[in-house]
Amino acid sequence: MAAVDAPVATVAEVDAPRPRRAWARRLSLWVPAGLTAFVFLACFLGPVVLPIPAPVGGNVLESSLPSFSPGHLLGTDPNGNDILSRILHGGRASLFVAVTVNLIGLAVGGLLGALSAYIGGKVDTVIMRVLDVLIAFPSLVLTLAVAQSLGPSLTNTIFALAFFSIPAVARVARAATLSLRELPFMTAAELAGTPWWRMLLRHIVPNIAPQLITFSMLGMGTVIVIEGALSFLGLGIPAPNPSWGNMISEGQASLSATPDLVIWPSLALFVTVLAFNLLGEALRTHWSGR
Amino acid sequence: MTVAVERRTRNVTAALLASPSLRLVGKRLLMAIPITLGVSILTFWVLNLVPGSAAQQLLGVEATEEQVRALEREMGLDKPAWVRYLDWLGGAVTGDLGKSFVSDQQVTTLLGERLVVTFELVILAMVGSLALAIPVALLAAYRPNRLFDRLSMVVSVSGLSVANYVLALILVLIFAVQLGWFPAIGYVPFTEDPVENLRTMALPAAAIAFPLFCFYTRFLRGDLVDQLLGQDYIVTAQAKGVGPWRVLIRHAFRNSSFGLITVVGLNLSTLIGATVIIEQIFAIPGLGQLMVQAINTRDMMVVQACVIVFAVVTVVANLVTDLLYAVLDPRIRYGSS
Repeated sequence: MAAVDAPVATVAEVDAPRPRRAWARRLSLWVPAGLTAFVFLACFLGPVVLPIPAPVGGNVLESSLPSFSPGHLLGTDPNGNDILSRILHGGRASLFVAVTVNLIGLAVGGLLGALSAYIGGKVDTVIMRVLDVLIAFPSLVLTLAVAQSLGPSLTNTIFALAFFSIPAVARVARAATLSLRELPFMTAAELAGTPWWRMLLRHIVPNIAPQLITFSMLGMGTVIVIEGALSFLGLGIPAPNPSWGNMISEGQASLSATPDLVIWPSLALFVTVLAFNLLGEALRTHWSGR
Repeated sequence: MTVAVERRTRNVTAALLASPSLRLVGKRLLMAIPITLGVSILTFWVLNLVPGSAAQQLLGVEATEEQVRALEREMGLDKPAWVRYLDWLGGAVTGDLGKSFVSDQQVTTLLGERLVVTFELVILAMVGSLALAIPVALLAAYRPNRLFDRLSMVVSVSGLSVANYVLALILVLIFAVQLGWFPAIGYVPFTEDPVENLRTMALPAAAIAFPLFCFYTRFLRGDLVDQLLGQDYIVTAQAKGVGPWRVLIRHAFRNSSFGLITVVGLNLSTLIGATVIIEQIFAIPGLGQLMVQAINTRDMMVVQACVIVFAVVTVVANLVTDLLYAVLDPRIRYGSS
């Protein structure tokens, strides 16, 4: 299959529009990387370094201040809590959930998919059928079911989201490993008597890692959106702790009077997800060498 | 005469049995059964992670031990989980999904009314996103890297980063609060007033459809451009003097449409999942709203039924995608792949 495709690829290279300049290519990787770094820094260092009030326990006398008020850059919510502070602290929770879920997904799903493809046969069939069951659930529905059963909390949110992250990563890892299996270096390593765990860790994992990391960047965005949806429905991070989801949900009640309450957390959500999506896209182009 | 007819029918049957599409259909149908069973087991397990609390939650903290025990016995919660699962499965196969703990109505009755509403929303969103994505992708691929192409890429990349619940609120803010073109919330049945029904469905359908539109546009545009850049049949068509639009539509798009079907199929679960939160925002009495309500009132029977319906619909939708693929793609139809 690969042999048939190869000449087509050469034609595409010849006919392709002239390659973008080096600086433009570097920029398309560094801008999203910088944006992602900025989001992480703002959420984790921002509240420590900047003089902003705590996200909860605000003064009721200062409730519902408009944006750009003195001392409260993005205003306050009806409880008098500083919105900027709530966004940054909410971002911590979102990013923490997203990173943890994706690490679990990468570790468990990646190993499961790679093993499944490497061993093949019945093991492969069984693992993939079980994952088919998990994939059959719309992710939000399954997460809601888990959240309902265990009750809203940070740990349960992570657990619920990992449920659907694992099968998706496993599928990608499996497909990547399958295409590796036919390559000469794999056969050579096998003929040299390399044990299976060494095959997996030294030969398969480094080679499928770029694809998996690219995929998990897109997964970061998805997890943040679904975590927001859970909190929006009141089943994620419990109030009064801030999260972008529950901030948007609280703001919805007074959407026409004070749209700022919805707009600021929405903007934070959008920028973060956009940063991860662009980074994933840039990494994909970077690693595919186009 | 009759022998001839008989022979012909036998030949047709033999041909059908040997047909690769039909074999694929059969294989996929058989695979859907264990998946559906697995889905129901998983749902049951997930919802029973915390055992025996349903009765307590229904009665509240002030209920006595005896009251809780009595209600558990009444609801059958005192039996072990696997017995309850088999009971439930037996009922489900005969079309009985049990009774709601809260309203005492049959779950199937509750689901029936709601399914139609969600179905309409899903169809509207799907048709809307495709109807917009196909022309935009064709226009973008017509002149790659030109203004329209760049613009459509910027829109679709940013559109993919907008959560649908955020988009829904922005749409409400603009089109309901500011402009007043559409109602912010509410639902009118199609049978009552078709025009009003479409007006109430417009914003929710748009909120679900927009991210999908972005996804389809990006996929289709990429696939079209990849083909235009170097596939032999495109070069042949161009060399024959076929016009650029005709090459794009008849040669490139026809080929991309299979990929598009797969992508649409893979996205169906996202689409169906999106209805849950969108129905909540727009107060549309669909399946998703029923599920969230049931979660809030701890009505486990209803939650269970909703989760399973969502999952089964996804399984069936994926099945239909596969079948469509088998019917449309000549490589599968003639079994030469």
